[in-house]
Amino acid sequence: MDTADTLPKCLIAACQKFGKQRVAMRQKDRGLWREFTWGGSYEQVQQLALGLMSLGLKRGEKVCIIGDNDPQYFWVQLAVQAGGGVAVGIFTDSTPPEIEYIVQHSDAVFVFAKDQEQCDKLLAIRANVPAVRRVIYWDAKGLWNYSDAWLMSFKSLQTLGQQANSEQPGLFEKTVAEGRADDLAIFCYTSGTTGQPKGAMISHHNLLAACDHTVQIDPRFETDEYLSFLPPAWITENVLGLAFHLRTGMVVNFPEAPETVQENLREITPHALLFSARLWENLVALVQVRITESSWINRMLYRLFMPVGHKVAGLRFEARRPVSLIWRVLHALGEVALFQPLRDKLGLTRVRSAYSSGAALDPDVIRFFRAIGVSIKQLYGSTEAEVHTLHIGDDVKFETVGVPAPGMSIKIADDSEIWVSAASVFHGYYKNPEATASALVTDAEGRRWFRTGDAGHLDSDGHLIYLDRLKELLELAGGQKYSPQYLEGRLKFSPYVRDVMTIGGADRAFVVALINIDFGNVGRWAEKRGLAYTTFADLSQKPEVYELIRKEVEQVNRTLPAAARIRKFVLLHKEFDADEGELTRTRKLRRNLLSDRYREMITAMYGGKDAVQVRALVKYRDGREGIMETSVRVAALESAAVEGDRR
Amino acid sequence: MPETHRHLLVRNVSLSFGGLQALSDVSFDVNPGEIVAIIGPNGAGKTSLLNCINGFYRPDKGSITFEGHEVTRTPPHQIASLSIARTFQNTALYTGLSVLDNLLSARHIHMRANFLQCLLYWGAAHREDMAHRAVVEEIIDFLEIEHIRKAIVGALPHGLRKRVELGRALAMEPRLLLLDEPMTGMNQEEKEDMARFILDVHEQRNTTLVLIEHDMGLVMDIAQRVVVLDFGVKIAEGIPDEIRHNDDVIKAYLGEAA
Repeated sequence: MDTADTLPKCLIAACQKFGKQRVAMRQKDRGLWREFTWGGSYEQVQQLALGLMSLGLKRGEKVCIIGDNDPQYFWVQLAVQAGGGVAVGIFTDSTPPEIEYIVQHSDAVFVFAKDQEQCDKLLAIRANVPAVRRVIYWDAKGLWNYSDAWLMSFKSLQTLGQQANSEQPGLFEKTVAEGRADDLAIFCYTSGTTGQPKGAMISHHNLLAACDHTVQIDPRFETDEYLSFLPPAWITENVLGLAFHLRTGMVVNFPEAPETVQENLREITPHALLFSARLWENLVALVQVRITESSWINRMLYRLFMPVGHKVAGLRFEARRPVSLIWRVLHALGEVALFQPLRDKLGLTRVRSAYSSGAALDPDVIRFFRAIGVSIKQLYGSTEAEVHTLHIGDDVKFETVGVPAPGMSIKIADDSEIWVSAASVFHGYYKNPEATASALVTDAEGRRWFRTGDAGHLDSDGHLIYLDRLKELLELAGGQKYSPQYLEGRLKFSPYVRDVMTIGGADRAFVVALINIDFGNVGRWAEKRGLAYTTFADLSQKPEVYELIRKEVEQVNRTLPAAARIRKFVLLHKEFDADEGELTRTRKLRRNLLSDRYREMITAMYGGKDAVQVRALVKYRDGREGIMETSVRVAALESAAVEGDRR
Repeated sequence: MPETHRHLLVRNVSLSFGGLQALSDVSFDVNPGEIVAIIGPNGAGKTSLLNCINGFYRPDKGSITFEGHEVTRTPPHQIASLSIARTFQNTALYTGLSVLDNLLSARHIHMRANFLQCLLYWGAAHREDMAHRAVVEEIIDFLEIEHIRKAIVGALPHGLRKRVELGRALAMEPRLLLLDEPMTGMNQEEKEDMARFILDVHEQRNTTLVLIEHDMGLVMDIAQRVVVLDFGVKIAEGIPDEIRHNDDVIKAYLGEAA
C-alpha cells in the first residue's frame, strides 16, 4: 500500500506525518507524566541503532529484550529492527534457565535487560551464553558498582551511536531503507504447555497486515490514548501497541510500575483496552466489594440504578427493542448518579474499543459493563496469526468469539480444527521444521493456512464458536466429537446451574449430563413464582425447575452441531459435596468417582428410562449417616436437539 | 587515620538506669561510608547505645562526637540538623497521613521559606515546595513504593511501613543513618529486598550506616564491621569473619556450656 513496509520505516513516516514536536509517548516518572515527542523517539532509535551497528550488529542477527513496558523497550525493538536485526522478547518473570533457553535457541548476539534484577539473571547464566557480546541495561539503579565490561549502559550505547552518526550521517536512514517487508521483525516464544517453547518467526509484513486489517473495523486516531500494560514480549502488545502506535499515531502511555496499572488507567482513561476475561471479571467483583464498603448513599444509588442500567441494556442489546421514554429518563438520571462515576473510577470514561481475550467471558460480566455503558467485545487470536476473529460494532454474541477480521479466512477442518489464513500468518518456528510443517499447510491454490490446534465451528451468522483445544475434545461412539469443557463452562454461566458433569466417550452414542441446580438462585426463582418446596431434593425434582433448566440447556445446545449436544440430563437430588469426596477442595469434579457413584442414573439415561429410584447414603456434618430415598427424573431433549434450532 | 577525620567517635560511654548498668565504657569508631552492625543478645544495650548516638539518652560518662560535633551536648531537636537520621524498632510513622506526607515531613529541617511566603505560596515558597517534592519522589522511586504513594500509612502492611520509615529517614538526606532492627517481622523476601535497599543507599548516597539486627546471616552479609555487646559491655569488634569465630561471642550467644 505504501512505502512504509517495516516498523522502522513507519517510525520515520510517522515523524513526518504527525510532526516531530507532537507527543508520541508518555511515562509516569517521579510522580509526573513525562512526554516524549515523535522527534525524540526518532533520535533515540537512531542513536541506539547506530550504537548497535558500531558494536557489530548485522542484518538478520537476533537481539533479546527483557523488560517491562517502558518507552525504552519500544525504542530498543525499533532500533534492533532498524539495524536489520530480529527482536526477541522475553517475559520479565522468566527464570534464568528459561532465559538461557531462549537466548541460546534464538542465537542472540546482544541482550537488552532492563535493570539489576534482569542483569543478575544474565550474569548467572553467562558461561552458557557465550554468543552474547554485550548486555545493555536502561535502568541503572543498583548497577553503579558493577564493573563487568560485559554489561553496558544505555547511555554508553547512545554515545557510540552519536559518534557513528557524526562520522557517517545518513547511515541510519540508509540502513532503514534497506529493510524489506518480508524481513523477520520479531520472534515470539510461545509458552508451550508441553515441551520447550517454540519461537514463532513474525515478519514486518505480518505485524503491519494484522494492524491495518484490524484498524479498518476498530479505528484509532492520533488523538487516542493507549496504556501499554500487556507484556511487550507478547504478540498482542506488538500489534495493538507498537504497530498501532506507529501506523495511527495514537499516544502510548507507559505505567509508572507494574503495580500502578490500575491507578494509571484512571489517570489516562484510554480509548482502547484489551483485558483478559479474568481481569474483566475481577473488575466486576472489585466494584461489588467497594460498593458494599461505601457510604449508604452510594449503596442506595447502586441498588436503585443498576437494575435500570440492566433493563435498558437488555432492551437495546439483547431484545433489540426501542427503549420507552420513562426508561430513557431513568437511565439519564442513572448516567449522572451512577454510571458515569463508576466508569470514571474504573478509567473507562473514554473507552471506545474494549476487548476481552483469553477465555470465555461470563455473559453476566458483559451485561454488567453494558449496564454502566461499556460494551465489551471478544477477540480471539494466536501468536502465529495475530487477530483471528473479533466482535465488530454491536454485533456481539455471548457464545461466540466474533467474525473473521478483514483479510482473514477461517476454515473448519473435518476434525473441527480451526484453520486460519491471512497476510498475518507467520513464517514458521525458528529451527523447528517439524513443528512448522505440522502447523503450516499450503493448499492447492497456494494459500498458506495455519492450523491453530483449537476446535470450533461457525454458526449460521458466520460467527466463530470456540470450543476448546482440539486435543481436549472427546469422541462419541459414532466418531463425532464434543467438548466437555465448552458444555460445562457455558452451562455454569447460568445463574441456576451450580455444577455440571457431562458424560460421553467412545462407548456412548450421545452426551448426557448430571446437573446440580443452584439452590439459592433456583429457590428465589421458585419463591417469586409461588412454587412451594421443602428441601433441595424436592425443589430439584419440580417439573417447573426441569423446564427452567431445560431452557438453559437448549440455549447452549443451539450453539452446537447436533451430535455434540446434550441429549438427556438429570437434576441431582443433592449437591456435589467436597466432604463426600465428590469434588476437590477447589471445587473440581472427581469424574471417576462421580460416574461410579451415579452409575444408576447414567445407565437410566442411556437405557431410555424416565426416572430412577435412588437410595443414597448421606454423610452428615456431625458424622452420622442416613439413607435418602427419592425418585430422580430423566429429561430428554432429543426432539429439541434436532429440530429446536430457532434460527 | 587521625581522630578528627573519623566520622563517628564513641568514647568510653556509660549509661545506667538507677542500679541497672545499661552501657559500661563502650568505645568504637565508625569511618565515613562504612556499614557497622551492632549485635548482641536481648538486653545487651544495643538500642540504648543507638539512643545515645542520636541524643535521645544522655550518657552518664563518656563522649560521642559526630563530624567534630559533640552529640551529647546537642539538644535533641538539633540532632537532626547534624545530619543524623534513624529508624525505630517499632515503626514510628504518622499513621493517619499518606506515605507522601510522611516523607515530606522529614524535609522540615531543610525548609527555608518564611511564614509569609508560605502563606502566599508564591515565589521561593512555591519553588522550594516543588524541590522538596522532587527529592521525595526520588526516594519513592528508589524504594519502589510508587504504588502506595497516596496510601494512608495506617492501612499498610508491616513490611511496607518499614520501607516507608527508611524512606522518611532518607528524606532528611542524612550523612549518618541509624537503623534499629530494619528487618524485624519480615519474611525472607521482604528481608532480601530491604537488604538490597540498604546496600543501594550505601552505594549510591555513600551514607554511613549503623544498624542493629538479629538476623545473623544478613548482618554477616551486609556489614563491613561488627560490634558485639553483652550486658552493656563491648566484648568484640571486627570484620564479620572474625566475629563468627570469636569465642567470647559464641559464649555470649550460646551460653557458658557451649
